[in-house]
Amino acid sequence: MTPAEQLKQNSVTLASATQPQDGLTARRSEALDKLRLLPFPEKKQEAWKYTGLNALTAGQLERAAPALDADADIASSIPSLGDCVIVIGNGALTGQLPALPKGLSVTPLSAESINDAPPDTFFGWLNTASLSDGLLLKTEPNVKVPGIVHLVFFNQAQTPCHTTNRLQVELAEGSELTIIEHYLGSGPVLTNALTHVQAGANSRLVHYRLQSESADSLHIGNLQIDQQRDSRVDSSQLMRGNVLRRNDVHVRMLESGAELTMRGVFIARDTSHIDNHINVEHVAPHCHSDQVYKGIAGENGRAVFNGRIHIHQYAKGSDAGLSNNNMLLSNEAEIDSKPELEIYNDDVKCAHGTTIGQMDAGQLFYLRSRGIDEASAKRMLGTGFVNETLHAMQDEAVREWATEWLGEAL
Amino acid sequence: MLEVRDLHAAVEGKEILKGLTLTVKPGEVHAIMGPNGSGKSTLSNVLAGRDGYEITSGEVLFEGKPLADMETEERARAGIFLAFQYPVEIPGVSNMEFLKASLEAVRAAQGKEPLDAVTLLRRAREACQHVNLDQQFLKRGVNEGFSGGEKKRNEIMQMMLLEPKLALLDETDSGLDIDALQVVAKGVNALRSPERSIVLVTHYQRLLDYIVPDFVHVLADGRIIKSGGKELALELEQKGYGWLTGEEESA
Repeated sequence: MTPAEQLKQNSVTLASATQPQDGLTARRSEALDKLRLLPFPEKKQEAWKYTGLNALTAGQLERAAPALDADADIASSIPSLGDCVIVIGNGALTGQLPALPKGLSVTPLSAESINDAPPDTFFGWLNTASLSDGLLLKTEPNVKVPGIVHLVFFNQAQTPCHTTNRLQVELAEGSELTIIEHYLGSGPVLTNALTHVQAGANSRLVHYRLQSESADSLHIGNLQIDQQRDSRVDSSQLMRGNVLRRNDVHVRMLESGAELTMRGVFIARDTSHIDNHINVEHVAPHCHSDQVYKGIAGENGRAVFNGRIHIHQYAKGSDAGLSNNNMLLSNEAEIDSKPELEIYNDDVKCAHGTTIGQMDAGQLFYLRSRGIDEASAKRMLGTGFVNETLHAMQDEAVREWATEWLGEAL
Repeated sequence: MLEVRDLHAAVEGKEILKGLTLTVKPGEVHAIMGPNGSGKSTLSNVLAGRDGYEITSGEVLFEGKPLADMETEERARAGIFLAFQYPVEIPGVSNMEFLKASLEAVRAAQGKEPLDAVTLLRRAREACQHVNLDQQFLKRGVNEGFSGGEKKRNEIMQMMLLEPKLALLDETDSGLDIDALQVVAKGVNALRSPERSIVLVTHYQRLLDYIVPDFVHVLADGRIIKSGGKELALELEQKGYGWLTGEEESA
């Protein structure tokens, strides 16, 4: 049995072991059937060319994470960013739900409410097949939910294990919501996160995906965003590196007039690995998407960026932009960036570009000639490089926290 | 203050400075003039410690200490300031943030407390006012989208805040119109003091109408070929550099 086959078998066994008798049983077994048919991701598949999953042979697919220690001190590690904080520890809701803001409901995912179109990826199906607790956030039509909802997914374990996080967000017509999806924790635990957003007609979502687990953890995430008519989604995805980090982001602009802004910052230092695969589909006409991703890799860090824009045949009047600028801090660091455009009609405005460069020697000299030591100067230049992206984030508390948190990695 | 002894320096293996000797005492203003390619910018860069500018022989002492032993930032902390010929744009790093970091580093090295935020902002605004730079420039990225003249004034503004012992102005007058030149000169003149030395590296005599030097040196082919008082600059203006470089050839 090859390592990939072994990992595939582990995944199926892991999923089969999660069989509580609850409303999700039918969904789990459907997903398990699907999982059995799919090959385990390997480098020979284009989507995994630069990211090997050897790290998972340590046992992350052999057992589900145990319940979080009751005395684990989660509270102290959560920065104060939101007005309503919901904490999920090792996949399960901790304590009671807090008081919810007006216009928002939060319920466990059920067989009826779960979106049956998960991202069609191996880990997306594994997420459904091993799901026990998921959360559904729903807004009321035409209500602006006040404040920021801060969802904390805290995953921690001493030995290699797997934890399933599942979030479904449904914005009703004309509603507005700001959420933070925040991943925290430590230890050799693999977070398998799947978030499904459905932005209803004329709704508005401000979304932050903060991945700040410690460097010894692993994370494979899927983010699916489906946009309906005239919906507006503003998504910021910020991450520092760890043993393995992979994000598949898939956006479908299904009805006309939808607008999407996505920005991301990824920083891979030491031996960490970050892989972002973004796929934005303009299915309907007159949609607008704008993406800016910035990456930094230092020491032996590795980063991968694949940004695909797919303009469908009937998506006339599409306007799509994607830029990915990267900075290498050492000779050993590596960044592989690939923008992809697929356009199937001729009435579109589309721009994409990617750059990979080093820190500018002239800028560094300028700062040093003013008395700033080399390490600080490098940190300033790295921060300056990502600041342009952070400045565009709407919420000041998140922006300030992110500037400091990312600054620590520079 | 500054003692340059038989300095030879190379860039990418090519010798540019070929035995330059110069002594600058506290309170003096020196002008170093010369045609293109004479080594003026190389001298500024060697003194500031830019990578790739290698001292091959001779030495440079600043307050008795060899500069070669000091990193770029250590030279700045010791009190050397280089106003760049081409100030660099640094998008994403605000001018104010940059000034704060610079001032903190330089002050700490001199055993001074960091300035509190209010004082720092007040001083930065005053310095801006001094060089006719709108305060909005403090919030913008360092030199980002500044015009040529604004960049030069930003250099002088930093110099006023950092109060160096030795200020090197590398062609600060190049590309400036007369009004901007006067503003820059006013800033430099305001800094003249018995403890501070200023070295003006320039291509044009015009700057010296506004900043009157104590000494003028002519640099050609990597060496100082003539030194004199401020009247030497006027002579150069009338006769051009050919007069001297020709003189050297026939010597």
